[in-house]
Amino acid sequence: MTTNENTARIVDTFEQAKNGLPGSWLAGAREGAIHSFAAAGFPTQRVESWKYTNLNRLARGAFDPLADIAAPDVNAWSALFIDGCDRIVIANGRVDPVHSTIGALPEGVVVSALSEAIEEIDPELEKQLAQIAPDEGAPLVALNTAFMRDGLVLRLSAGTVLERPVQVVHIVDSGDTALALHPRTLVVAGDNSEATVVETFAGAAGAGYWTNAVTEIRVGRNASIKHMKRQDESVAAYHTALTQVRLDRDARFSSVALTVGGILSRNEMKVAFEGEGAACRLAGGSLLRGRQHADSTTEADHRVPHTTSDQVFRNVLDGNAHSVFQGGVIVRKDAQKTDSSQSNRNLLLSSGAQADTKPELQIFADDVKCAHGATVGDLDKTSMFYLESRGIPPEQAKALLIGAFIGEILEDVAEGAVRDHLQSAISTWMVEAQ
Amino acid sequence: MSFLSIKNLHASVGGKEILKGINLEVGKGEVHAIMGPNGSGKSTLSYVLSGREGYDVTKGEIVFEGQNVLEMEPHERAGAGIYLAFQYPVEIPGVSNLTFLKTAVNAVRKARGQEELDAINFLKFAREQGNILEMKDELLKRPVNVGFSGGEKKRNEIFQMAMLEPSLAILDETDSGLDIDALRIVSEGVNKLRSPERSMVVITHYQRLLDHIVPDFIHVLAGGRFVASGGKELALELEKEGYAKFGIDEGASAAA
Repeated sequence: MTTNENTARIVDTFEQAKNGLPGSWLAGAREGAIHSFAAAGFPTQRVESWKYTNLNRLARGAFDPLADIAAPDVNAWSALFIDGCDRIVIANGRVDPVHSTIGALPEGVVVSALSEAIEEIDPELEKQLAQIAPDEGAPLVALNTAFMRDGLVLRLSAGTVLERPVQVVHIVDSGDTALALHPRTLVVAGDNSEATVVETFAGAAGAGYWTNAVTEIRVGRNASIKHMKRQDESVAAYHTALTQVRLDRDARFSSVALTVGGILSRNEMKVAFEGEGAACRLAGGSLLRGRQHADSTTEADHRVPHTTSDQVFRNVLDGNAHSVFQGGVIVRKDAQKTDSSQSNRNLLLSSGAQADTKPELQIFADDVKCAHGATVGDLDKTSMFYLESRGIPPEQAKALLIGAFIGEILEDVAEGAVRDHLQSAISTWMVEAQ
Repeated sequence: MSFLSIKNLHASVGGKEILKGINLEVGKGEVHAIMGPNGSGKSTLSYVLSGREGYDVTKGEIVFEGQNVLEMEPHERAGAGIYLAFQYPVEIPGVSNLTFLKTAVNAVRKARGQEELDAINFLKFAREQGNILEMKDELLKRPVNVGFSGGEKKRNEIFQMAMLEPSLAILDETDSGLDIDALRIVSEGVNKLRSPERSMVVITHYQRLLDHIVPDFIHVLAGGRFVASGGKELALELEKEGYAKFGIDEGASAAA
């Protein structure tokens, strides 16, 4: 099947299935989205922002966005559950009510599965869903809008502070059926509110499927959202994801995205500064081996004065793995006093590994600070010798240095269960390396 | 029997011969000082003993407690009891001093057939040894040598030595760059670690260190060979008359 034929097949699938998709009020948005996808097709490497990531195989793959596969034994995945969280579990694309647990919430806080939230007509939801991350110019976002079925909705009214993190766990175990999953997460944080959201993606070993996730986050005035992501998909799976964040005045957003899974993955983080004094830190890292390919693409769009962005990305590559970092910073004409920094470092553990790194700074204001730096290198021999001279065997010394290298992305994450959740993916990767 | 025996050792770095026939016998519990001008091969000898990559032994042998050192990997040498205090301690960002030390201590304990220390016993041991060297608790928690002053780095080297309990310690210019207070603390630490079971090779450029750590023997290294050996009185001669007495032109050998 060619890419064009497959695009047509996907549109046909939508036409046949559209009446069965949840949330009748979304029908118009879904129609618009599928037309937008049909017109654009899958992104190709001719598009600058997809220059280093080839979606050809994905674009020809016959992934099924509708199959209703019985939920797997979710208990087998409970090691992914963070203790003390409110949790939504999405298994094979559908909410699992048995394993989703939501405790008593402060007044004004909504934690809900998307499929449930969109069954009701809700003017507030209509104003946000598929509005924070527009479909235009983003075919994969459009495809998600057309087919989205489940995910997480988190809404915080002004002044509410959520002590417990909210975790959404996506599990795929669909046997021989190659699923296409289009999960959507929506976080709307009212003024002065605070919460931590964790997205975890995992799949059965060796399973081939495609996760195409969209996360929309709006952070109100002086509110603070922490966003963590553990992409631990099957190493035969595709994972494409876009997180679009909009920050109001004095809002704060801090994010850590860790990639260990997927044969081909793309994690795109876009932050729009819409109010003065807002700040964000985007951290991300990947630990890859074999023929894995992971693309981290960012865009910090400074539109107003006095905003701050900090990007920290680290990749560790073994085998023939390939990482891509495209670090985007836009400083618009009126965005004076922007303070932005960006650092991408890549550690190559084998001669077959490859890292592409490209800072993309577009600066139209004159009174700004924009720092950026990138390195690609192998393990420091002097450090290795120092550790070995203290009796530490080479494999263990290597693990210490890799752990320290990738650990920089966790610098802002407080000790506790959420950090442990990310750390355990790193530790597992290291154990598999030995 | 000699504890450490070096015979006719030749070693090259990048194809250039630096050590040109070193012979050294160190008995158990003895402290030997090796002095010499810059470029005489002092650091090369310390790296060859500890097994650093890029230091090629072309001739000769090193036997430590009956084992052929040249056939051992760096971590195996550490496990066997050889410890090198670095002239320039290495900074390891992201690895705390405590994590580093716990990994190292348990690695050498395992190699020596001793039981590994659990978190509580390790901390207790680290505090005890840290106190001797006036190591602030904060230095234990910080990443290895990152943001340490020159004196703190050298103190950390001796602290690690105390933790790893080697039977042969090589101190490579541990005194260089230290002011007198730091030198006093480091030397006192070293002296506390002296024991009939532990031999030391103290490499230094300055006679000053030997006022604090009094050696049993002194060897003068020049041009990759020992040109004089003797008791501690040799240090005084050196101080009075300089390396010139041994026919060494400091300016010339510094360029080597």
